[in-house]
Amino acid sequence: MYDATQLFEPVQLTEEEKLARFKERIEQGEKIEADDWMPAFYRDTLIKLISMHGISEIMGALPEKEWVPKAPSLRRKLGIMAKVQDEMGHGQLLLRVVEDLMKPYGKTRGDLMDDLFTGRLKFHNVFHMPTRSWADAGMIGWLVDGAAIITQTNMLGASYGPYARALQRICAEEVFHAQHGESIIMALAEGTSEQRAMIQESLDEWWESLLMFFGPASKETTGTSKQDVTIAYKIRTKTNEELRQNFFTKYVPRIRSLGLVIPDPTLRFDEETGQWEYAQPDWTKFKTIIQGGGPRSKERLDLRRTSYENNAWVRDALAETKA
Amino acid sequence: MTEQERTALASLLYQLADDDFLYAYRGSEWLGLAPHIEEDVASSSIAQDSMGHAAMYYQLLEELGEGNADALAHVRLAHERKNSILVERVNGPGYYMEKPEYDWAFAVVRNYCYTVAKKIRIDALKSSSYEPLATAAVKINMELYYHLLHWQTWFTQLYQSTETARQKMDAALEKVLYDFGDMFDYGEHGQLIEEMRLIEGQGILLDRWYQTITPLLVELNVTLPEMQMTRNGRDGDHTEDLNDALATLGEVYLIDQTATW
Amino acid sequence: MNETFYHEFEVFSKRTPNAAFTHQFSLLAPNKEMALLMAQENFMRREPVVDIWVVKREDIRGLSPDEKQMLQRLDNKDYRTTKGYGYLKKKWRHYEQQMLDEKEIMSWQGGDSK
Repeated sequence: MYDATQLFEPVQLTEEEKLARFKERIEQGEKIEADDWMPAFYRDTLIKLISMHGISEIMGALPEKEWVPKAPSLRRKLGIMAKVQDEMGHGQLLLRVVEDLMKPYGKTRGDLMDDLFTGRLKFHNVFHMPTRSWADAGMIGWLVDGAAIITQTNMLGASYGPYARALQRICAEEVFHAQHGESIIMALAEGTSEQRAMIQESLDEWWESLLMFFGPASKETTGTSKQDVTIAYKIRTKTNEELRQNFFTKYVPRIRSLGLVIPDPTLRFDEETGQWEYAQPDWTKFKTIIQGGGPRSKERLDLRRTSYENNAWVRDALAETKA
Repeated sequence: MTEQERTALASLLYQLADDDFLYAYRGSEWLGLAPHIEEDVASSSIAQDSMGHAAMYYQLLEELGEGNADALAHVRLAHERKNSILVERVNGPGYYMEKPEYDWAFAVVRNYCYTVAKKIRIDALKSSSYEPLATAAVKINMELYYHLLHWQTWFTQLYQSTETARQKMDAALEKVLYDFGDMFDYGEHGQLIEEMRLIEGQGILLDRWYQTITPLLVELNVTLPEMQMTRNGRDGDHTEDLNDALATLGEVYLIDQTATW
Repeated sequence: MNETFYHEFEVFSKRTPNAAFTHQFSLLAPNKEMALLMAQENFMRREPVVDIWVVKREDIRGLSPDEKQMLQRLDNKDYRTTKGYGYLKKKWRHYEQQMLDEKEIMSWQGGDSK
């Protein structure tokens, strides 16, 4: 059918003009939306960042889930169920954001799962680690979620609107997660000597993973780092190292106040530089872990794959129903 | 209340508490493993609600002088448990942390059949002669609409889909009915439970369950397999599955029962 | 027929009986009945909610970048707003009356007359 609105000039810009306009919008603090034009590198950076974030939430449900039935009271059982449910919920929010970004490439959630199973899509180092005791469940809630809060709040103002909105929801729930973790740790810290030993052991076990969580300080350390691009395009504001320093400032005094000993005798705050000095985690080990060579990497991936494949018939069956 | 009557009341409360406790546990084992992420989040709420209901019943037992609610949930051995066999059954072969081969058809059929039964029991409990139980029933009833709609939708949709799905659903229904015989049984104190009007008669409730479930089955062209009772969980006769479940559920609590967790 | 399990649904909800529907987020589901079952627990687990809509995304007619040109308008429409009638304030003062402005009129809800 003839369309007289074509008498109006279509909004046609050259690639250069589009890019200039895009940069200008980001500079002015405007939010980029899913349907807006964006340069491929921005889209690809977001896909990589948010798919890793999203799939980490999904994989992150697994280590904690191990302690859901074992939680030592009815109230703890309820609390940790709600917490793990939130992790899955965060995965849902983030995967939806990525799925919209991947649309121009014709990729869907199924492709993300395949990427995970074939190792193309990585997940956070902490979720490759074993959870050995109930104290680990508390430690994840308190310090791993504490670290996650620091990295996620850093992106609340992200230039990509859908991500910023998902993070708003996520961070609001993370406050509950942190308190859920604190509550478990506090009960153990104020408990019997065995309970106290449990959390010290857990801290000893998790400390290195916590430092790794923020990623290497620069790409010289591991050979890859997207932090420069993400800062330039206002997806995040702080560097990995700045975030790690924030973590020390917020959590070191709290950890010590409970009488726990941080397993790093060199850890100290340097008044002159205003920086925390600390023993570097083993970054080679970090690389091995996120590439799937962590202590529980294979088991967790197998678990995810088994459940995904076992349930394929359900998705096939309902694909046939009337939408 | 005579001592005998108190025992009968406690027995009914244990049945209700243990049922929801195990049902919620089996639901929670699915966390992270459901057919899709949105369903994972949604069904986790049902497991949480059900654990909440169990906690309310254990609380009633505590108030009746049976001991601390957490201890009742975590310490009692298999032969002391009064739950139905259906809720203690594993979701499928394989340990939940390693390679669980969970069966979603079994989950859907078990949850639907159980939720219909639960709704019928809750309605009957609303006029219980034991006031605190009647009050709890009115509260629990509020959350059952969603549970029922949820599992009914899954049940219906899977039955109306592919031939593969239908076969899996039929197999699951067979398994569920094989264990269903003790669902409305009140166990050794059954007669007194009914005489005290704590809840309506087990025969009436069972009839209601058939009446409720039949029209949908007819619509879906499904034949209900014969209901069996190979064991009576209400009398503490359980399968090995329950021992394993209890070992997991109590693992941390039993490290130190006197500690605060 | 559907051919995929993953259909996109947009979720809207009302927080209170008097509130307007607000967009919450989107989810994937095989059909609208399932989408409805997923909606509340995925996005409104902790907040009050009195009603929910799920809408298949492909049923939403939005604007293309070109069509967004229809949203442009000239800034010459003060006749549509109170801004175009501000001079009345002074007039009424002359008749020793107060102008019935928006603030005043909106305060009459419930038939309350001062």
